[in-house]
Amino acid sequence: MSTNWIGLYTMLRREVKRTLRVVVQTLIAPTVSAALYIFIFGTVIGSKIADFAGVPYIRFVFPGVLMLSIINASFGSASSALYFMRFTRGIEEILITPFSYFEMLIGLVGSAVARALMVSFLILFVGLGFGAVSLMHPLAFVFYIAAISAIFAMLGIIVALWAESFEQLQVLNTFFITPMTYLGGIFYSITMLPPLAASITRFNPFFYFANGVRSSMIGYTEADPVLGIVIISGLVIGLGILVTQLFKRGWKIRS
Amino acid sequence: MTETTRPMLEIKNLVKVYGTGEKKKVAVDGINLSIPKGAFFGLLGPNGAGKSTTIHCITGIAQPTTGQILIDGVDVVSEYKQARTKVGLSPQEFNVDIFSTPAQLMDFMGGYYGIPGEVRATRIEELLTQFDLQEHRDVKFQKLSGGLKRRAMLGRALVHTPDLLILDEPTAGVDVEQRRALWSYLKKLNQDGKTIILTSHYLEEIEELCNDIAVINHGQIIWNGTKAEFMADGKSVEEKYLELLKK
Repeated sequence: MSTNWIGLYTMLRREVKRTLRVVVQTLIAPTVSAALYIFIFGTVIGSKIADFAGVPYIRFVFPGVLMLSIINASFGSASSALYFMRFTRGIEEILITPFSYFEMLIGLVGSAVARALMVSFLILFVGLGFGAVSLMHPLAFVFYIAAISAIFAMLGIIVALWAESFEQLQVLNTFFITPMTYLGGIFYSITMLPPLAASITRFNPFFYFANGVRSSMIGYTEADPVLGIVIISGLVIGLGILVTQLFKRGWKIRS
Repeated sequence: MTETTRPMLEIKNLVKVYGTGEKKKVAVDGINLSIPKGAFFGLLGPNGAGKSTTIHCITGIAQPTTGQILIDGVDVVSEYKQARTKVGLSPQEFNVDIFSTPAQLMDFMGGYYGIPGEVRATRIEELLTQFDLQEHRDVKFQKLSGGLKRRAMLGRALVHTPDLLILDEPTAGVDVEQRRALWSYLKKLNQDGKTIILTSHYLEEIEELCNDIAVINHGQIIWNGTKAEFMADGKSVEEKYLELLKK
């Protein structure tokens, strides 16, 4: 059977409706948080800091703030949507309809990426107001935003499949994603760290996410861009295969 | 076997086992069934007998452990995408997003089945009218009464005009008047050629609607035949059913 395009579009449409149904939680709250980060780190503290990597600190820190919001939006969208579907058994609507396992992956990830993109646009708009936005390599920017959203959407799917309670849904975010994000250099340059800490940071994939978005926006990079693209692409492909296999096995969704 | 003589549903040695080791439970134990096109088939059995598990295996909610299920000749495991276009399910439990309205539920489900927007819109209007849901079309599912919820579920199951309609306790919580109206609609659907599988604890419903009956208990078919055969000794469906379970 051919690709179920109408089905995929319906999944996307449904998630957009769901996002807009709770717009304060899904779009406004992350935008307000990002605006506060930009104001405090960029304007209040940043005005006391000399140019950083050849640009004002606000421009250095903005890509990290944007990335943080994208990660939260895509992870939150995928994990809450799928967990809620498991909780209400609404997932059966997907299981009994003609979606291949890969189409299920594309539909759920695409829906989460759509929410992350909506959040991105709002934060870029706020960033423009603060003079924090520059875009040196637009195509690379689109690649990093889409790929990072997809990675965290797939992590969100895995957590939503694994979790047995709303509390467990937050475990990965609280104990892994948030610390790794903050330690990945979103607010600072690793040149500011002691050599050992800088070396350890290079083993943190979140460092390559932040560095990729930042290099596409302000042209400053602290890592080999090719290595970053390989790591990010590898994660997209690896997680894509893993989630498709989980859907095929029906783990936690098909009895 | 030609397209017209091919059964609508064929189940061959279906086994479904949940869990492993000490937690192992055989829910369905070697079921064989053949349901011809155009049948109105009643699947009876007590709670936990294996009815819903069988339905879940047919529709893709559960994965068969062994055995084969063919819908109009299409294997539900190896050709699952094609098989799923042929079936509509109104499940026993409300497996819906409770914040969606009946119109949205049908719209999303129709979309999932790949029905183009214009066709879907026309179909949804027909179903909303048919099930007397126009007045409630934009009311959230959670705010609907039990009967209205059942009707919304039926509309959702029919939005893609499936060849095989599976109704798992479709009239639970529906008042007598609405139940009778629903019976008339189901009879008409069947007369128009739709194959229907019905499970219900209302045995008068089975007696009123079905032409063929199977009884399942402890995961096995303990009786299978026509309604006339089932009631051959002058007993009602209920009397015969209770007699079979006692055995």
